[in-house]
Amino acid sequence: MRLEPAPPGDVPAAPTAAPSAPAVAEARRRREREQWQGRRRLERQLHDGAALRASALVLQLGLFRHRVPETEHELRAAIGILQDELHAVLQELRDVAGQIYPPLLDEAGLGPALRELAERLDAPLRVHDDGARFGAAAEGAVYFALADALAADPGSPREVAVAGSAGELVVTATGASPGLGELLRDRARPLGGTVREGVCDVSAPPDETVGTGTIVARIPCE
Amino acid sequence: MRVALAEDGALFREGLLMLLQAAGHEVVAVAAGGDELLALLAGTPCDVAVLDIRMPPEPDGGLVTAERIREKWPNMGLLFLSHYAESHYLMKILDIGTDAIGYRLKEKVGSVEVLTDTLTRIADGEIVIEPVLAKRLVERPRGEKKNEVASLSERELDVLKLMAEGRSNGGIAGQLYVTPKAVEKHIASIFAKLGLHTDETESHRRVLAVLTYLRSQRDGD
Repeated sequence: MRLEPAPPGDVPAAPTAAPSAPAVAEARRRREREQWQGRRRLERQLHDGAALRASALVLQLGLFRHRVPETEHELRAAIGILQDELHAVLQELRDVAGQIYPPLLDEAGLGPALRELAERLDAPLRVHDDGARFGAAAEGAVYFALADALAADPGSPREVAVAGSAGELVVTATGASPGLGELLRDRARPLGGTVREGVCDVSAPPDETVGTGTIVARIPCE
Repeated sequence: MRVALAEDGALFREGLLMLLQAAGHEVVAVAAGGDELLALLAGTPCDVAVLDIRMPPEPDGGLVTAERIREKWPNMGLLFLSHYAESHYLMKILDIGTDAIGYRLKEKVGSVEVLTDTLTRIADGEIVIEPVLAKRLVERPRGEKKNEVASLSERELDVLKLMAEGRSNGGIAGQLYVTPKAVEKHIASIFAKLGLHTDETESHRRVLAVLTYLRSQRDGD
């Protein structure tokens, strides 16, 4: 994917009017979306580059070890230790990649990525989704807001429903401690999303606020 | 053993090819993607196909290719290699088949011994699961299974982890330096504590029972 070229400086100046507020907001959203896509590209670059090279090195060392006479115990053991070290390097690369953009989020979407996250954090989170996809930005924003919330308190939220229609991702979290609303808002707003707290029914009018601990985030997606 | 190999990363593909040959296996097909592998296999079926999960056809060509292979050659073993060990993919893999199938990290098959052990177990019809992933599943059971797994003794947990890796009784005994008889006793105790049936004689069926048990609290799957 190519970045858009910078606008040329010598374009005949249009009558100078301040860009309209919606245009400014739209430009901001576009930049934000590009940032998320950039993160996803970085993860792929790690996977296809450094990680693959290190894995191939493990194989080459294995071949080398195989060619060392069996009587050379020390040398064989030393090669095994190098292979273990490379495994540790790869483990660290995986950790970093997961913080940039989780590969499972890229490949399989919010539902599977959130379930895997809950498993790793030993969180009792239940996730409902139908496998629909919403683009790197909206999915990334929701994933990282929930990851921060679960890291702070594995018990919040208890349940997350991922749904959406007409270019919009709708995430409903229940059993959430108050901090989650803020975390979601920070990630959703730059993308033009909204977050409502204490709303029980997604289809209810905005002023019917019931059910504390329920948070509904709506994020437009590409 | 006759082995086929599909992996889109050239460096890793070449490395694995050389290690397979050094281990004395006959590599009958080498491809950079699933479609290419299927075309090559048409004339020369093999014992085990080694598949990268994340390869063409994108995004997870290894899974699609495996389904096609199972359809055409139901007896061919399948070994999935990946840079990531995730239970999401493990479940997808077990949907494709529950015998002669394996899932391992790319950097964990880097010795002739491990590679051959993995391939042999798969060719013998067993399930082989990356130990890191089996360990995580046992240590992080879902929801209400937690208490039951917590009731196991340390030794029983060791046995359960090896069972989740797909090891047979003999394999578990060898790993823990105990007799197969002792392993049988531990397994009977584990199954009683978890409320599972012990009449599953075939070890890959037993692996499946254990994995399903550990994962059964997942919603939607």
